[in-house]
Amino acid sequence: MTRLDSPRLATYAGLAAVGLLAGLAVGRIELVALAAPFALAAVAGRALARNPQIEATVTVERERALEGDEVRVTVDLSSPTGADRVEVLLPLPEELRSLGSNPRAVMLRAETPRTLDYTLLCERWGAFVLGPVFVRAADRLGFHSWEMRIGHAQPLRVYPSVETLRALLEPLDTQVFVGNQLSRSRGDGIEFADIREWEPGDRVRSINWRASARRGELLVNEQHPERNTDVVLFLDTFADVHADGRGTLDLTVRAAASVAHRYLQRKDRVGVVSFGGYLSWLLPNSGTRQLYRIVDSLLQMGVVLSFAAKGIDVLPPRTLPPKALVLALSPLLDARSAAALLDLRARGFDLVVVEVSPVPFVRPGPGELARLSYRLWRLSREALRARYEQAGVPVVEWTDGEALNVVLEEVTAFRRYARPVRA
Amino acid sequence: MSAAVLYAAVVSYVATRQPSIAIVAALLGGVGALMLLFVLVREVDELLPWSLALVGIAYAIAILAHGSGVDEGAPLVGVALLLCAELATWSLDERWAIAAERAVVVARATALAVLALAGLGVGVLVLALAAAPVGGGLAWTVLGAAAAVLVVAIAARG
Repeated sequence: MTRLDSPRLATYAGLAAVGLLAGLAVGRIELVALAAPFALAAVAGRALARNPQIEATVTVERERALEGDEVRVTVDLSSPTGADRVEVLLPLPEELRSLGSNPRAVMLRAETPRTLDYTLLCERWGAFVLGPVFVRAADRLGFHSWEMRIGHAQPLRVYPSVETLRALLEPLDTQVFVGNQLSRSRGDGIEFADIREWEPGDRVRSINWRASARRGELLVNEQHPERNTDVVLFLDTFADVHADGRGTLDLTVRAAASVAHRYLQRKDRVGVVSFGGYLSWLLPNSGTRQLYRIVDSLLQMGVVLSFAAKGIDVLPPRTLPPKALVLALSPLLDARSAAALLDLRARGFDLVVVEVSPVPFVRPGPGELARLSYRLWRLSREALRARYEQAGVPVVEWTDGEALNVVLEEVTAFRRYARPVRA
Repeated sequence: MSAAVLYAAVVSYVATRQPSIAIVAALLGGVGALMLLFVLVREVDELLPWSLALVGIAYAIAILAHGSGVDEGAPLVGVALLLCAELATWSLDERWAIAAERAVVVARATALAVLALAGLGVGVLVLALAAAPVGGGLAWTVLGAAAAVLVVAIAARG
């Protein structure tokens, strides 16, 4: 707690002293009468000072919210002595906006607790901490004030809103576990695949009696088994280009949350690799808990400046399981991530690159040279895309405002006709 | 606004108190008024004491030039200057746009009114005591000086 005395007290004391002494010196009572109110104010200010000993607790209605949600926060104040003016400021990050007034000044009576309600609008995703609150208590005339930070910090996680995806990218290969994805291989399943001749060991129930009667030999049905797939979201966090509150990292996180949510809904395993200055990963897994893990890890995501050379060798082997679909979300700005993606493709991974375009967030500067630089930059990006396409990697540009569905449909169309060559 | 009006009233009173020094009073008061405007508009609160001191000096010059008669308006001048300082400070406090509930505003206004009335009472009491036939001399002067030092010491301790 910090006590602050208003400079007015010193001013009033000084003016009173000058007035009283001048009155004595020149023998004029008017100067004493002139100084008397200031002397009284200075003395009264001293007498009014009392430490309010305020206590406060911060309570957040819930720990998790979605973008656009309103969350109630209450601040409970109490003081054994009371305070004439208590100013309370709940510090808020840029992503949260108070719908009421903040800060606010209230009167706190002795032994009478007060509750201040705040309604916060979650404007953007993120992991936040609310509290402690800044409190400044003052006497009625503001001669003395006490400033303090009180209350415990309360966490609030705001999850990004999830875009409804109508279709997802189908991986080329499935895994061995049961899921909703129709496998190309043949085995036990529901979906009819083909008919073949009976072999010893085949179950009687799989015999196709109608076809067997027509051909005069035993034939059995074959099915496509339902399997799950592994999807690894490869997020490039080397760089972020943003303007007006939107940026490539913001789009990346939103897309990753939407895609992870949808894949996990259909029992696939999803993992995340955050490839940037700070490397982090989540091993592929399925279920609701994995979704929370992924979203929580996305909330912590940020750009960490690093000049260290990094390749995919630094990743633990289990983060990129065989036959996994690697869906890369990258602004393609850093050479290290661009090289790592080509390396992944060279190692035979089923790779798709969604280029989170930084172009809408970059404006060409004034002048001929700046415009020329901008054009060269755009051309170099096209050249990089061409390199990926030569390597058989589908690259789709995703600009801010465009639906993710459109981008995924474009990739699906590409993959319908272009199959990666297996060495 | 109220602070500026009060200040202008005090300057007018001082200037009309003794016509022979009206120019000096108006000059000092004008400079002080400019300082007060600077305080209110540009939020430079360091100039507030100088603004008050200037009009105080002008008042001292006026009563010295006026002669031996006691100015019975002195308590009013003192209270007006105190209110001017308090209202200017209140105005500066409002720059932070802190939403205050009605009880807080009422409490401050009440406290200010009580302070002004008490200041006026003390000023009148001082004038009344000075008019009382209790004699004079070095003892009273020393007592007065001691009282002044005591008041300043109490205020400075805060």
